[in-house]
Amino acid sequence: MARRDHDDDDEIEEEDEEEAYDLDEEEEEDEEDDYEEEARRGKASRGGGGRKRSREDNFIDDSAIEDEDEDDDDDDGGGRPRKKGGGGVRGFFDEEAQVDEDEEEEDEGEGEDDFINDAGADLPDENVIRGSRRHSIPMRDEEEDIDEIERQVRERYARSTHIEYGEEAAEVEQQALLPSVKDPKLWMVKCAIGHERETAICLMQKYIDRTDLQIKSVVALDHLKNYIYVEAEKEAHVKEACKGLRNIYASAKITLVPIKEMADVLSVESKSVDLSRDSWVRMKLGIYKGDLAKVVDVDNVRQRVDVKLIPRIDLQALASKLEGREAVKKKAFVPPPRFFNIDEAREMHIRVERRRDKESGEYFEWVDNLKFKDGFLYKSVSTKSIHTNNIQPTFDELEKFKKPGEDMNGDMASLSTLFANRKKGHFMKGDAVIVVKGDLKNLEGWVEKVEDETVHIRPKISDLPKTLAFNEKELCKYFKPGDHVKVISGVQEGATGMVVKVEGHVLIILSDTTKEHIHVFADHVVESSEITTGITRIGDYELHDLVLLDNLSFGVIIRVEAEAFQVLKGVPDRPEVVLVKLREIKSKIDRRSSAKDRSNNIISAKDVVRVIEGACKGKQGPVEHIHKGILFIYDRHHLEHAGFICAKAQSCLLVGGSTGGRRGNGMDTADARLGALRSSASILQSPGRLPPRGPIMNYGGRFGGGRGGRGHDALVGKCIKIKSGPYKGYRGRVKEVTGALVRVELDSLMKIVTVKRDDIADTPTVATPFREPRYSLGGETPMHPSRTPHHAYQTPMRDPGATPIHDGMRTPMRSRAWAPMSPPRDNWEDGNPATWGSSPAYQPGTPQARPYEAPTPGSGWANTPGVSFNDAPTPRDNYANAPSPYVPSTPVGQPMTPNSAAYLPGTPGGQPMTPGNVGMDIMSPIIGGEGDGTWLLPDVLVNVLRGGDDGPGVVREVLGDGSCRVALGSSGNGDMVTVLPNEVEVIRPKKSDRIKILNGNFRGYTGKLIGIDGSDGIVRLDDTYEVKILDMVILAKLAT
Amino acid sequence: MFFHIVLERNMQLHPRHFGPHLRDKLVSKLIKDVEGTCSGRHGFVVAIMGVEDIGKGLIREGTGYVTFPVKYQCVVFRPFKGEILEAVVTMVNKMGFFAEAGLVQIFVSNHLILDDMKFQSGDVPSYTSSDGSVKIQKESEVRLKIIGTRVDATEIFCVGTIKDDFLGDISDPGAAV
Repeated sequence: MARRDHDDDDEIEEEDEEEAYDLDEEEEEDEEDDYEEEARRGKASRGGGGRKRSREDNFIDDSAIEDEDEDDDDDDGGGRPRKKGGGGVRGFFDEEAQVDEDEEEEDEGEGEDDFINDAGADLPDENVIRGSRRHSIPMRDEEEDIDEIERQVRERYARSTHIEYGEEAAEVEQQALLPSVKDPKLWMVKCAIGHERETAICLMQKYIDRTDLQIKSVVALDHLKNYIYVEAEKEAHVKEACKGLRNIYASAKITLVPIKEMADVLSVESKSVDLSRDSWVRMKLGIYKGDLAKVVDVDNVRQRVDVKLIPRIDLQALASKLEGREAVKKKAFVPPPRFFNIDEAREMHIRVERRRDKESGEYFEWVDNLKFKDGFLYKSVSTKSIHTNNIQPTFDELEKFKKPGEDMNGDMASLSTLFANRKKGHFMKGDAVIVVKGDLKNLEGWVEKVEDETVHIRPKISDLPKTLAFNEKELCKYFKPGDHVKVISGVQEGATGMVVKVEGHVLIILSDTTKEHIHVFADHVVESSEITTGITRIGDYELHDLVLLDNLSFGVIIRVEAEAFQVLKGVPDRPEVVLVKLREIKSKIDRRSSAKDRSNNIISAKDVVRVIEGACKGKQGPVEHIHKGILFIYDRHHLEHAGFICAKAQSCLLVGGSTGGRRGNGMDTADARLGALRSSASILQSPGRLPPRGPIMNYGGRFGGGRGGRGHDALVGKCIKIKSGPYKGYRGRVKEVTGALVRVELDSLMKIVTVKRDDIADTPTVATPFREPRYSLGGETPMHPSRTPHHAYQTPMRDPGATPIHDGMRTPMRSRAWAPMSPPRDNWEDGNPATWGSSPAYQPGTPQARPYEAPTPGSGWANTPGVSFNDAPTPRDNYANAPSPYVPSTPVGQPMTPNSAAYLPGTPGGQPMTPGNVGMDIMSPIIGGEGDGTWLLPDVLVNVLRGGDDGPGVVREVLGDGSCRVALGSSGNGDMVTVLPNEVEVIRPKKSDRIKILNGNFRGYTGKLIGIDGSDGIVRLDDTYEVKILDMVILAKLAT
Repeated sequence: MFFHIVLERNMQLHPRHFGPHLRDKLVSKLIKDVEGTCSGRHGFVVAIMGVEDIGKGLIREGTGYVTFPVKYQCVVFRPFKGEILEAVVTMVNKMGFFAEAGLVQIFVSNHLILDDMKFQSGDVPSYTSSDGSVKIQKESEVRLKIIGTRVDATEIFCVGTIKDDFLGDISDPGAAV
């Protein structure tokens, strides 16, 4: 063997110079090596190593003769099974003879000339037989006369082909060939499992060795394990033959095969021949398990298949293996499929050889016994280790197999596989089909009739006969662009769409629902006028439902797949789509809720909104769902995510709705409804519940919503000390209050813990100082009386509600300096203990927070009253209508005592209304001190926050209702627009800016900001050169 | 394609409209109800040209509404397979572009755009030919051929192609007819 190997190598080196037949020679040699080995093994098992040669000699001669005899017999008897067997044997001998020749040439070491001649002479022959040659058992060193053998073989071969099995015979003749009682019988003999073939060979050898055996033939079937068939006249003959065989137990039962079944035993199962070149298979075992592979060569004799795979090779591991290092074997790790890249491999010092394959003549890259070509791995596997039936390659998989530039059209491979997977009744009358094979390829027609596998079609071309019959496999469904189709099988099953393009047998469909392209096989679709999304429902959940997911996130179902949903999650700004299983969905969110848009309009489902900022800016459509301030908008022009867009309510603008709180009188009723809704829902966590469009709502909201939250609000943001429990002694700031539990951010530990409410003690110092001066009782109380008469029944209501106002007031300020929408937001905040914790921006009491001074309420009031006076008939009405229902629900005696005073600034909210009509000047004095109306003043620089006119502007005039006329542009030379107070935001001055004081005793004064101290500004007044420390909030930058 | 056809519709009228102007009311209501709607069979109703006949009204029990069978002439627009249309591009994306011819939305897949034209993403996504001479973007006018229609109860959706002679961008003033 060693010598041979060496030869091989030599030859390979010389390969290029050598002639083609030389190569052939070499191939054979290699093969022979293999077979030799096999044979040796076989020999060993037979235990007659020494006798081999003579035996084989005999083998050939005798068998040749025997076989001929047999043939004669066959002719007499005409038994079909026997013939088959005989044929097999003959084939066998042919091969022997052929190989033998080659062997001899090689071994005799004849002159080159002879060698070539012989080889040349053999060539034609080889071509004929090569395909089936492999199974040979090589024989060496034969001293036989080659010509003689060849002659014999040819003779017999010729004869055997001459003696036909009646292939041309008519059916009747065929019948005559069936076995009858006169024929030898077929016996089924049990043998060792897995050794069927071996046993058959052994028996054959025995027959050759011992002429007295009276069996006629032996058959081992591939699909039948544990048994072989022996043909003989009598059972005794079979017993005799089987005696002494290692693989047949002496006790084994011998069963007679009934005459009727004899033919069946040897009839070929058509199914098993399905495996053909270019068909798709799946691997059963190993790391490639489940991988798609393409058959490149089939060896039916050896039951082996060469397949082409996308390699899963860990180059790193391979490299280390080749270098002799023992790589740590990670069992679980299966490398992902990836095309093999030679350069990459070389970089890792993996030796890549380029060698020519002996059989196909193609070049392959060899790495560590693995064959590669074009990045694919070529692998020889047993037919048993692949799945051949019902392979449905997905489109992606096929794409991968497709070489760049290779047209799918020419890919008959996918076709052949598809055909194999067709369901019964694939074609129906009226289907448009195209012929894909045979002479009439590309003929179009319509199905007229289907009979089993035969399909009759009416061709499109008129000159042809009326109907033509085709085998089912020769036809493929045919569609034209523009056809409306439905996918009936495959991954996309259920989808419908319009054919956009036909690429061979692949259709590109524009899905009706997703407006996306889908690639499908023509075979998988039917023409249909139906429009569906496929399945639209699994369990309780339907397409376009808003659902709550496991991890408390939520989203809209945008597609229903076979077993899962695609959900567009409620994350604004960036669309996030997740695939979730049914069980991962917690529930459907079916509540009606609403949200506020940027201009504080209430958005409820079905309202049309436009997204004015963020990734989806400019999109517009009706709101389908609202949850936690997130809108799901359906834009039919939006192609992704089934048209759904997810956006924050705050980044949207209601289309067709007013951009201020300017809803008409008619709103009263609606408000009441909303208010009711709000107060009844105890978990007011969604801004969606945000109330009101008009001022009325504010009150209503405050009272209603404030109910549960008020007490908490006071606590939230406060510095407390924990007086018992595991955290006893810690100080911290309250983040959130939920029922009897309080979440506290510990000062010392930088973490948030949950403690019982009973466990905490107020430390009344830290957080409060901000408040105290502002809401000092002294300032406010005096006003109280003056107010009360006006709103006699208002006060009691207001009392409990005030706290939230106060707290709430601060929050918006913090988040957006000027809080154009403060009042409604307040309500929301009040009602929403949860949000305190969850949205840090709104957390009151956090140190960096800006003061929550009165101005905010002022701004709130300033707007609302203004509006309300315009729209709402009288304040009295408002109060009477809206808030009263909530009074009962307002718990009295909340532990908010310190703030009950603090609510007072809110109260004026009611107050300024009256004077509001009259004018600013009256109002301010009444309110006194830091009054609440941060009415704008002329010449103040503001930021306009209205849809189209964003940008700086200069206030030119303040109208009675609080709105003002603003000249756009930082120097005020742009267009004049009229804006509502909540659409503008005062530009906060910087140090040494010229300012105007908007509120307080010095309202209207101008000055210069000479310094900023936290939330206070140090201002030098222009008139008096006095230096005042004023809240930054009431300072506005003056236009230059 | 536009058709001038006669259609019939049962109109319900509130009793408050009964009076000397009943007919006018009926017609104005008809126009309001019908114009701009789409029926799968006839396509979009573009305009009502006249009322041929108003049948006898039938009072509906319980409501007091009266149902009149009204025959009216109208112009309808219905796209057909193979029809050539001129349309305005409304949206361009990598899968193709959408165009509108009146109320009809037409999608032209990138497979049905000349291979020469490539999708250019960016601020204004467009399909541009390799030499840059032809550009289809939003607001472009294109001539296209309808290859398939899908007719819903309320909408007609078409798939079109510009992959044919004389089709494609026509917004260029030189090329426009």
